[in-house]
Amino acid sequence: MENALTVENLSKSYQRRLRQPGLLGAVKGLFASRFEEVQAVKGLSFSIGRGEKVGLIGENGAGKSTTLKMLTGIIVPTGGKLEVLGHIPWKERRQLALNIGVVFGQRPQLLWDIPVEETFKLLKTMYRIPEDVYQAVYGEALHRLGLEPLLNTPVRHLSLGQRMRCDLAASLLHAPAVVFLDEPTIGLDLSVKEQVRGFITDIQAKFGITLLITTHDLKDITETCDRLLLLDKGKLLFDGSIRAFEQKYASDRRIVAETHKPVEASAAQALSQAVGKSGGKVIEAEGHRVVVEYHEEGAAPALIHLILQQLQVVDINLEKTDIETIVTRIYRSDTAKA
Amino acid sequence: MRPLARPLNFSESLGGYFAYLNRALKANFAYKASTLLGLFTAALSYAVTVLVWSHVYTQKGSSLLMSRQEMFAYLALAFCLNYALTINIDQRVGQRIRLGLIATDLLKPLDFQLSQATQALSDCLFNSFVGMGILAVVFYFLGGQILPKSPQAFGLFVVSLFLAFLVQYSIVFLFIQGAFYTYSGYGIFASRIALHQTFSGLQAPLTLYPPLLLTVGRWLPFQHVIFTPVFIYMGRVEGAEALRLLGEQALWGFGLYAAGYFAMRKALGQLEIQGG
Ligand SMILES: Nc1ncnc2c1ncn2[C@@H]1O[C@H](COP(=O)(O)OP(=O)(O)OP(=O)(O)O)[C@@H](O)[C@H]1O
Ligand SMILES: [Mg+2]
Repeated sequence: MENALTVENLSKSYQRRLRQPGLLGAVKGLFASRFEEVQAVKGLSFSIGRGEKVGLIGENGAGKSTTLKMLTGIIVPTGGKLEVLGHIPWKERRQLALNIGVVFGQRPQLLWDIPVEETFKLLKTMYRIPEDVYQAVYGEALHRLGLEPLLNTPVRHLSLGQRMRCDLAASLLHAPAVVFLDEPTIGLDLSVKEQVRGFITDIQAKFGITLLITTHDLKDITETCDRLLLLDKGKLLFDGSIRAFEQKYASDRRIVAETHKPVEASAAQALSQAVGKSGGKVIEAEGHRVVVEYHEEGAAPALIHLILQQLQVVDINLEKTDIETIVTRIYRSDTAKA
Repeated sequence: MRPLARPLNFSESLGGYFAYLNRALKANFAYKASTLLGLFTAALSYAVTVLVWSHVYTQKGSSLLMSRQEMFAYLALAFCLNYALTINIDQRVGQRIRLGLIATDLLKPLDFQLSQATQALSDCLFNSFVGMGILAVVFYFLGGQILPKSPQAFGLFVVSLFLAFLVQYSIVFLFIQGAFYTYSGYGIFASRIALHQTFSGLQAPLTLYPPLLLTVGRWLPFQHVIFTPVFIYMGRVEGAEALRLLGEQALWGFGLYAAGYFAMRKALGQLEIQGG
């Protein structure tokens, strides 16, 4: 597969001016400034193929936005190499611009004082968007994002969610080869989030767009992406498919059974021995509830079989740690980070 | 998968610049209140200048280098030209840099300096529209004195006017670069305005300045925004001298434009788009 972008040992550090507290501090700051270096991104390496859909996650301050700013060419890296569609972004920003689309959730690109539709027309002219492409994206946006009633409203009169929808449509209008979305669903209500994800998925599929999304809402990623990059304090902690991610960090799956009668200690003991041979472990056996944990994929049928054989079961459930829980656990634990 | 778009050449990107100009004009017309306020303030400062000069002429008119009528024609023309060439992009761009909104401008397939120029041109076209109205009022009071000295003078003035716009825009753009370092447009805006007020010839023709100030003014580009075009229009400079001034104006205009280009390249190298 041809690469849409490659990043090699990419890093970025910011100079942060240290300010002393109080008015006196502010006055001192006029004469002598002390700087502190903030390493926002430390030696990232990855590449993304044309048409791939990738989610970039990480805690607040992990360096996601910084990475996207470098990939789009609006800031210059302090070290390493990067290439997007054969261009070095910060050197060839303008050439790249025609083939990328960018949403920075917090920064509208719509023009503030004119109606939305006029911004669309302006972009159509500016990017020289072919009529068929324009109609395809525009039509999809009207339909999927419900933009129709907003088109004649000046942007300054739109609510946040309305504006974000228009902004997303504006960024995809030229059906760019690579799209960078920095928190495209920030501040949206649940139904609008769904609309936005649906729109992204559709346009992506229609034009084979390469997608890189950062977000704190993991549903954005599970619903639109196949691959996940996890950034931790400027370093890449995980890079792989969402499935591989779950396998790596959420290998614990559970079978939860509810029994007709309270489980006796001896029965629990026997079950424990039996499931032990099939890769399971009884982690709970109290009252009417029995929980068996296992790690191997495909072990469930055998284990369920054993449970059903040994106990009088009225209900049985399979549980998998959801991705939110996994991610929260990773953010919290220091062991995982080491 | 759609094939990649190849970069636009200049003529292909013209449509984009015109679209920018068009929408900037619309936006300008949308802010009537701000226009009126700006006009009122400008008129006030003009009135003060005229009153001061009027007083000076009453005290010792005959000894001055310029007749009273010529002086008032100069001031009126300078005022109108200054109004027409008022460019407001520095505040706007400063604000966008401070909030990190500049990112979306930089991500467009157009040249930033040139697209800001369309914004500036829109300001000037709009202001000229208003400025013509003022000129009509002034004409009512001062009559033929504010007409160009000759058709030739008017022809040279048209060229000079274009160059004055170029100089003015390039100065503004160069000052804007400061905002990439300070992340605030205000101080930069204020200092540019102060220099402009002092050295453009808005309040008096540069020729009346005391020697030291005159020398400083002659070494700065601000004179070419107002003083030069007005003097050419009035026929106070003609022939070879006028052509020399146009050349000087052009040098400043293109030189400052180029300086702006390089300053921007340097500024972007260290730009930190504010906000995550
Ligand atoms: N202009 C700047 N000057 C100094 N430090 C900065 C600047 N921008 C970002 N940083 C620092 O760099 C680090 C990474 O910031 P970045 O915005 O990339 O994080 P993020 O992963 O996008 O976080 P979030 O999820 O909160 O958006 C943070 O520690 C931040 O404080
Ligand atoms: Mg961010």
